[in-house]
Amino acid sequence: MLGIPDTSSATYKPTGSKHRTRAAPDPPPLFDDTSGGYSIQPGGYPAPGADVAFNVNHLLGDPVANVAMAYGSSIASHGKDIVHKELHRFVSVNKLKYFFAVDTAYVAKKLGLLVFPYTHQNWEVQYSRDVPLPPRQDLNAPDLYIPTMAFITYVLLAGMALGIQKRFSPEVLGLCASTALVWVVLEVLALLLGVYLATVRSDLSTFHLLAYSGYKYVGMILSVLTGLLFGSDGYYVALAWTSSALMYFIVRSLRTAALGPDSMGAPAPRQRLQLYLTLGAAAFQPLIIYWLTFHLVR
Amino acid sequence: MFVWGEPEGELGINFDHIWQKTLTVLNPLKPADGSIMNETDLAGPILFCVALGATLLLAGKVQFGYIYGMSAIGCLGIYALLNLMSSSGVSYGCVASVLGYCLLPMVILSSGAVFFSLQGTIGTVLALVIIVWCSLSASKIFISALDMEGQQLLIAYPCALLYGLFALLTVF
Repeated sequence: MLGIPDTSSATYKPTGSKHRTRAAPDPPPLFDDTSGGYSIQPGGYPAPGADVAFNVNHLLGDPVANVAMAYGSSIASHGKDIVHKELHRFVSVNKLKYFFAVDTAYVAKKLGLLVFPYTHQNWEVQYSRDVPLPPRQDLNAPDLYIPTMAFITYVLLAGMALGIQKRFSPEVLGLCASTALVWVVLEVLALLLGVYLATVRSDLSTFHLLAYSGYKYVGMILSVLTGLLFGSDGYYVALAWTSSALMYFIVRSLRTAALGPDSMGAPAPRQRLQLYLTLGAAAFQPLIIYWLTFHLVR
Repeated sequence: MFVWGEPEGELGINFDHIWQKTLTVLNPLKPADGSIMNETDLAGPILFCVALGATLLLAGKVQFGYIYGMSAIGCLGIYALLNLMSSSGVSYGCVASVLGYCLLPMVILSSGAVFFSLQGTIGTVLALVIIVWCSLSASKIFISALDMEGQQLLIAYPCALLYGLFALLTVF
């Protein structure tokens, strides 16, 4: 028909909507019916924002801009693929997923355990056919959800505490966050070294140690909160309580975890080394909690 | 002589879907339909972000840089967390879309800030209620779309942290 520019059909092709390719054998329609929406591949790496942009774009009917957008989105997805490949080289996502398989009941019970571990009887991590059970099904399994959330909450709380005392600035917040991060990395490295020197074989991977050293942030948050609400005395009381609870928790958990499922095979000096390692890790906790929080509760 | 189709269809914006999603956000207690997030659209979220920026501007706070930076980093964090916690993956666009839709109550809060100052007990309580509202809606949509059970509060907490940052911007 007259009056319809040819470029209109040329601009439809790069948008690549699935249902348009079916219309190819028919004579080109006067206008495409886009009111039916379009489907996005689930779970892939689509660029959904770009789809909206494409449809706006064909109103302008400019093939050059269209080609540029197609090129840009292909570069974006290529970049995403590269990032994912590099990420998979360093971090095995499946192993990481094990630590995030948590549910609300587990988190609530674990937080209660971190604050009051003295009445818990059975500290063994349960296995099913040599594979440790995920945290959803086993209260004793370590997880990374609580440490991550606790770390982020700690950084935000530090920002708030500094803001209340009028000492806030984004640089100080960044300093707080990076100091805490550096201490976590140092502690995990020290524990890794200790585990390597002292243990025959155990299930303690890097992520396990990261989880156990991240649990102290829960104690830190509680201490800072009590310090903000009740002043210096409240801070020291909370510090003492959470430190002792955390020390007990770490000693009981690491003692069974470091020995692994087959614990009787280790010779006596090794077992003493393991004990010293666990006690050392536990004794380190109150020091680091104090170091990272006292300047917030001045 | 036809040149356009329906204007909404030409723009690729489905007003009916936008309205449905907005209704889902406005009523956080009603269970959500898992299929509404099948098409990711960013038109609604962009509209809400612009509205938030506009109301903040009316209240005298010009902090667009912080809004963009915080929303990008926050979206990235929640995207990573959801990918780790759910059995099926999720795309970044879906996360950005849901978080953007659930920003609507925050727009209500910041438009309130234009008329009266939010610093004070009433303002704090109102901000807390709005934060809880936003994060409950966001987590409700996420768990129904990704089929995650027993994890609503766990998803709501990081969303609450993110919306808390927005509320801080609005109140102070």
